[in-house]
Amino acid sequence: MSAFLAGLRFEARTLARERAPGLALLALVGLTLFSLHAGAVRVETQQRLVDAARAEEAQRYSALKLLLAKIDRGEVREELPPYRDPRNASFAGGGLAARVAALTPAPLALAAFGQSDLAPPVVRVTSASRDSFLFVDEIDNPANLLNGSTDLAFVIVFVYPLVILALCYNLLSGERERGTLAMTLASARRPDVVLAGKLAARALAPIASTLAAVTLGVAIFAGPDALATGGFFGLASIILLYGLFWVAFAGAVDGLGKGSSFNALTLVSAWVVIAILLPAGINSLAGYAHPSPSRMEMTLAARAAATDADRERDAALARYLETHPSEKRGGARERSLRRLATQEAAFQRVESVIARHEAQLDRQRALTDRLIFFSPALLTYRALADVAGTGEARYRGFLDAIRAFHLEWRDFFVPRARDGVPLTAADYDAAPQFRAESATDVGWTHPGTMLLGLGLPTLMLALAAATGYARCRPR
Amino acid sequence: MSDLAPIPAASAARAPGRASIVRAIAAKELIEMRRDRRLFALFVFTLVLIGAALGFGAAENLRLGRERSAAAEADRQLWIGQGPKNPHAAAHFGQYAFKPVSPLALADPGVNAYVGSAVWLEAHKQNETQFRPASDGGVAARLGGLSLAFILQTIAPLLILLAGFGAFCGERENGTLKQVFSLGARPDELLAGKALALIAGIFALFAPMLVGLAIALLALSDASKLSLADQFIRLGALALGYLAYLLGFVFLTLGVSALAKNSRAALVTLLAYWLTNSFLAPRLATDLTRGLAPTPTAQAFRAGIATEKAATFGHDETHPAFLAFRKETLAKYGVSRIEDLPVNFRGLQLRKDDEIGYAIFDKHFGALQASFDRQDTLRASAGFLFPLLAIQPFSMAFAGADSRAQFDFTTAAEAHRRDIQNEASENIIHFAHDEGYAAGPDLWRRIGAFSYDAPTASFPLAHSGPAITGLTAWLALSLSFALFAARRQRPL
Repeated sequence: MSAFLAGLRFEARTLARERAPGLALLALVGLTLFSLHAGAVRVETQQRLVDAARAEEAQRYSALKLLLAKIDRGEVREELPPYRDPRNASFAGGGLAARVAALTPAPLALAAFGQSDLAPPVVRVTSASRDSFLFVDEIDNPANLLNGSTDLAFVIVFVYPLVILALCYNLLSGERERGTLAMTLASARRPDVVLAGKLAARALAPIASTLAAVTLGVAIFAGPDALATGGFFGLASIILLYGLFWVAFAGAVDGLGKGSSFNALTLVSAWVVIAILLPAGINSLAGYAHPSPSRMEMTLAARAAATDADRERDAALARYLETHPSEKRGGARERSLRRLATQEAAFQRVESVIARHEAQLDRQRALTDRLIFFSPALLTYRALADVAGTGEARYRGFLDAIRAFHLEWRDFFVPRARDGVPLTAADYDAAPQFRAESATDVGWTHPGTMLLGLGLPTLMLALAAATGYARCRPR
Repeated sequence: MSDLAPIPAASAARAPGRASIVRAIAAKELIEMRRDRRLFALFVFTLVLIGAALGFGAAENLRLGRERSAAAEADRQLWIGQGPKNPHAAAHFGQYAFKPVSPLALADPGVNAYVGSAVWLEAHKQNETQFRPASDGGVAARLGGLSLAFILQTIAPLLILLAGFGAFCGERENGTLKQVFSLGARPDELLAGKALALIAGIFALFAPMLVGLAIALLALSDASKLSLADQFIRLGALALGYLAYLLGFVFLTLGVSALAKNSRAALVTLLAYWLTNSFLAPRLATDLTRGLAPTPTAQAFRAGIATEKAATFGHDETHPAFLAFRKETLAKYGVSRIEDLPVNFRGLQLRKDDEIGYAIFDKHFGALQASFDRQDTLRASAGFLFPLLAIQPFSMAFAGADSRAQFDFTTAAEAHRRDIQNEASENIIHFAHDEGYAAGPDLWRRIGAFSYDAPTASFPLAHSGPAITGLTAWLALSLSFALFAARRQRPL
């Protein structure tokens, strides 16, 4: 143990005297803090969106209830068109009284943008088919979405390993090239333990700096409470594990006994393959094998349903008018029933198309889930998004909750619309509310996958590194 | 005329021309590159990646093209098969406009995953495009896919710097630099020869890629819908743009190699720059542009339109603007009752409301695109320093996959929406004599399907000023830097 500590202390002192490692660590810490600040700004914007949507809903509901009260008091003289009449259940459930379903940013949302800039945090649920409200996007410059932002997930996945590699790539080869390896090996009975201590010093510097910067950044930008969550423990564990993977990789390559330039080129190539090419290849392959569904199919199904329902309604109305020639053809009741009929037809067909699309996306995700083991970078990126509550798991949960709420909403409004029962203020008070999942429940959803996909290769690489160090000769 | 020819000076006879020195240096560099097994393996690997990217790109383009054609045809049938109804009800049902896939998007899909490909053309409203493919892609998809643009923008520069980082300092370390200079080679010639070798390497990658792309264009482009000549002009522009981008890396690599103390320092410097250019600069530029030139939120954007639309009447017959319009119309026709008008008043009302709406939509959607343009210009303004910020918008623009191309499509779609509205309102004005008026399939057929003619290559050229300036400045700066660095060599 003392040999290990001696190696660690010696290497730490050497590192402290060099300028380049200090600058690299400073840059890493600075970038980490900047990324957390950028994340906090983003979270604030999203929270504002959610708050604004909730405020708009509250304002809309009070306006509707005010109008209802005026109607009850007989203060509204003119006949309101059905699409502006708060008593009309078909139009109220279909849009006037639309309910806000919001996804509140999780405590660690600042750590990864994930899907948050693509998936809208606010959805206005109506009784119409889901295609009409589920695919309303937030506005952003597409070039911004393409390039992404400087979030912590980016810093950890791409920059952090490079700093680790820069510090660890030439522990053995550097000593050999400087001619000091023989002395180092002769300094202890177990030279490999000394070397392990030296490697630990080089690894500890970037890992500890990053963890300290993340702790500080989260405390400043998300509040000290965020440090006490299980998510933060997950975040720190992911950073530690991913860092150890790259340390072990550097050790394994260095342990091969080649020169520094070989190590540098091999490790940079490995980084390019693992962090850039494999994720890109996996995405392309999954997209090719199981292409994303054509959402236009869903819209066309809704439109076809509307046309068919219109036709059926026309035929039914024609029959009715034959026997009731005095009835007004385009009255409010008829318009409400026609809207309800088209909505119901579209609902049935769109639900089946969405189910098919989800199954297709599930196949794509399943393939990605299998291939993700080849890319520790992708694995880490996904884990960070999960911990931040901006990953697929949370959004899919949100969509499931919306689907359940949509049914609840329809159960409330559709029977009233069908029966032509006018809505009252009490109905508005009793209308279903979307119960958001608690943001604090967000956590690391794939720890097992992470341990298998990252922990196992780390162990194997560490073994290779230990073997290489044990066989090390000064030559 | 004397029979005696002047004997050339001995030194002049032996001294090879500058061109032959440059050629000799280039040939030697190429041989060394070819002998470097790791470099050769990287080169072959990149070629394989290029092949895979071409394959994925072509397959995706074909799939999207098929999907959108089928959707457009299905929507047309729905439109025609509506059955008799009031033309305004048909206008509410509307049509869908689908964005055709640009053939060169197989090389650079640009922002296609982040913009919708369909827009609903309905009465009273200009809608935003729907269905961003990236929304379905999950978190993993945010790390990007394999495309030719990705390889050229990210992997090719890495290949150049790995091939060239030791060009000067490696020779200095090996002691061969002095020998080369002692043979009469000048720094400029050495630079030119080494640059030529790296350029030859680029061409070896470029040539199969260009041939593959040309074949794909010929095979995948529908000549009846777009001009093949235009596609090849775009391809030529892309080749020039990427040439400038990669040449800049050649000169930068050689310059750094000439100035660096040793090859390790050269490699570390170049890798740090490559990382910054490829990954950090685009993200930092996003954060910066978002802060300096913010875009509105969807809620603010829609609220802005709704506020202005509230000043017009739509279907609200109690709106003051409606009452004023009715008064004005009655006065214009010299009658006192709507029933006495020679035309249908509801049709006039719809047409008037639409005309007011068109100006409101033009203002807001124009302002939104202007805010995107401001951000894009800001991003490209650092292109001389980090050329990815210049080549990326340039490449997307000529591939027909940038936000400007998207705006052109949505503008064309909106023009078609207005044609539908105008035709429906005109029909009501002239033919609707009672409340139960219904038009039939003849009118639905007369109102055509949306057809989009993508703009010619002059369109991206006109909108790529900042990117072209950035790329030119990048090339000029890197060349100047390389010349400066090479001339600082002190060989003897």
